[in-house]
This record gives sequence, C-alpha cells and structure tokens, in this order.
Amino acid sequence: MEDRLLIERCLTGEREAQRQLFEQTSVRIYRLLLRMTGNPDDAADLTQETYFKGLQRLDQFDGRSAIGSWFYRIAVNEALQFRRRQGVGTVKLQAVAPNQPTEAQRPRTDLELDMESALAELPPDDRALLLLRYQEELDYRGIAEALDCAEGTVASRLSRARDKLREILRKSYG
Amino acid sequence: MCCEQVERQLGRYVDDEISAAEREKIETHLGFCSSCQAELEEMRELVRGIAQPPAVTVPDFLWASIARRLDKTDRTISPARPLRRLRFRGAPWAIAAGVVLAVGLSMFGLSSLESTAHASTVDFGVLLDALPLDAQKAFRKFLMRYDAKPSTPVAAKRIASALNFDTPPVLPGGFRLQSVYELRIGGTRGIAAAYDRDGEFLAAVFHPPMKHEKFGSHENLPCVIGDHCGHKVQVGEWKLVHLTDPTTCHCLLSRVDEQSEMPAVMAAIAPKLTETGPTSDHHHP
Repeated sequence: MEDRLLIERCLTGEREAQRQLFEQTSVRIYRLLLRMTGNPDDAADLTQETYFKGLQRLDQFDGRSAIGSWFYRIAVNEALQFRRRQGVGTVKLQAVAPNQPTEAQRPRTDLELDMESALAELPPDDRALLLLRYQEELDYRGIAEALDCAEGTVASRLSRARDKLREILRKSYG
Repeated sequence: MCCEQVERQLGRYVDDEISAAEREKIETHLGFCSSCQAELEEMRELVRGIAQPPAVTVPDFLWASIARRLDKTDRTISPARPLRRLRFRGAPWAIAAGVVLAVGLSMFGLSSLESTAHASTVDFGVLLDALPLDAQKAFRKFLMRYDAKPSTPVAAKRIASALNFDTPPVLPGGFRLQSVYELRIGGTRGIAAAYDRDGEFLAAVFHPPMKHEKFGSHENLPCVIGDHCGHKVQVGEWKLVHLTDPTTCHCLLSRVDEQSEMPAVMAAIAPKLTETGPTSDHHHP
C-alpha cells in the first residue's frame, strides 16, 4: 500500500516522492550494476540512466509486479546495452574501488576475487540472472518480471548459468 | 527418486522453488546418497560465492543529477507531460493532446498547460477515452492534465474552501481513501480523491460548476441518483456521474450500482447536497 501511494505521487511528477522512491531502491540497483559492470563509474552512469528512464516511463508500470522488478528490468537492459556498445568482452574488474567499502573495509579474499573474475567471464545475461537470484534474492517470478521472460524458463536458464560458472572456476583452478 | 532425478531438481531445491512433497523426496534421497550430498554442497558453495553482495554506498551526487535531468525535461514539456501520453499509440485522446501541445507551444512557447486549459471548461475526454484500458491509468492522465499535486483531506478543505465536498477515510460500501490531490483547472482549484475497495477503484473529482464540460466522443445523459438529478457518461462498466449544487460539481467515477450503492456514496462525498435540493441542470445550477 505504501508503495502504491508513493508511486501515485511519483506519477504526478512530485520530485520529493521520486527522491523517496530512489532512496528506497537505489542501493539494490547500484549494487547490481556495480557487479554487472565491475566499475563504479559505469555503475553510477547506468544507475542514473535507469532512474531517469524509469521515472519518466513510470506511467507504463502496470502495478502487477513489484516496483523493484520494474527498476531491475530497466537496469539489466541498460547494462546489456552498455556491454553491447562497449563490444563483447569480459568485464574489467574494479568492483571494489576506494569509494566502495566492503564490510568492515576488509580486503576481498582470493576466493571472492576468483568468483568475481569468473562472473565477469560469463555472458552478461547469465551474470544478470545469477546476481538477481543469489545476490538480490529474487524468486523465479521476480526474475521473470525483471528479465521479461517466462517464469517456466528461469530454472533451466539458471541451471545452465551455474554450470558455465562452475566450468570457468574449475578452469581457473587448473 | 534416483540420482538423476535428484540432480535435475537440485537447483530448484537450493532455490526453494519446489513443492513440499518434492522437497521431502529429495531429502529422503540425500539422507543415504553421498554423491548427491556432495553435489548439493558444491552447488551451495557456488551460490554462497555469488551471494556475497558488496556493501555499497550510492554516490551522493546521483539523485541530484537525475533530478536535474528530470527538471530539464519538465521545462521542455508542459506539466501535462503530453509526450508521455503520446506513448499510448492509437488512443484518440493522445492525438488530441498532441494537437493541444502543438497549438499551445506555437502560441505560448514553453508556457504551462494553464494557457491551454480554459477556466470555463473541464475536459473529461482524457479520462473517459482511456477507461476501458485501465481506469487507474486513465485517472492519472486526468490528474496530469490538471497539474495535480498531492494533498490531504484537511489541506484540500482549506485550499478549496469555496467547494462543498468531503473526502472521508472510508465511504459507504467500504471504499478506503488512498490519495487526495489538488487540481488546477484554468484559474480555479479543484480536488480529486482516489479510493480502493479490495482492488476496486473509485475516484471523485470536485470543481466549481462550469458552463461547459467536455466528454470527448461520449454522450452525457441525464440521470437520477437518489433524490438528485444529475448527468452520467457510461463507458463499459464505468460510470462518470455528476451532481451539481450552486458551488460544486461532484463527479464520481465508479462501477458501483446507481440505485443501491451510489446514493450513499454521493451523500458521503457531497454532504450538503441534500440541503440544496435537487438540481436538474448540471451546468447551470
């Protein structure tokens, strides 16, 4: 109900309501984009693009899905388009920049860095899929909404993405 | 369940996207199969690795940048956001909005919608044309058309003190108040309110009596609600009913029954209507 009222206010162009919506959802979106791109500057640019487009097109949000899924969908599309513009290639890892403190400022372990490298080698749509499920903890329905795909295909796509990731990790361990 | 079946279901099992019965079968198998246990542990290890979200701080400048871009767009487009309306291809009112925009911009440059909306007119065409698609979206279009600003029941009373209306938290029949808006209709003020009853939408609009109201291609026919004569436009199941007293036109958009439910709802949003007696002419009380 709270969401709905806030969205109603956003739809009238009320800037304060739009700011509140941004405050409520932007950490998740920025975090996803940070791990999708591996670069804080790119993640910030794409987050900005996501909210600019999302708030402008909010009248197209039908209310049947969660507002988070709406922004996730735009964010993933922005990230995929960004990768296409950059040309196919792996993400240049820079996921933990000085202005991005991790928990208690600890350095990332080798295992974590291996995982980041492996994720970076995955095709971007597989990376988005895995991050939406295991980092953002969306259920299959939420993932289907965010990726605009059939819910019935999510399990098999996840299975393939996990297998690819496992294969990359195995290779990296020799 | 054999190992092959368990392996096929293991992803769903880890993701907790499986029925209780399937879960039980898998767990029974895992109880005695060390190979599948190892497979499960490896998958969980992998998932834990992916699940490590970095603790991030969204850069401070981001919202300011987004707001600046939105401001710039708002200055380029009138408050009615006609470009957003035009996305609804094929909607007759979208084409009309385009005409209004073209005329408005050519005559007034980057002036506000107030320049194109006459104080003597309320145009319900936007609302009525889009009703069959999505009533709530149609209502939002109407709100945008009249530069709606969120308000509260108390503030609405203060802002539109010349109008006779009420926006109670609950209407007869159980509709609950969701939001209240202040409208700018030309040089005058109006009020709108949205209600909900288990997903059923109802809206009320209050504005000073006008000489003309526009209903697009829809016919506005006389009707009787309780003891009052009014007018009604019907679009599918939806009815836009107006009852007017000397100070206020009360417009109710709903699907409630005219005979059994609507009189009580009208009495709640127009509490002084009964004192003014019935009016037969909506536009000239």
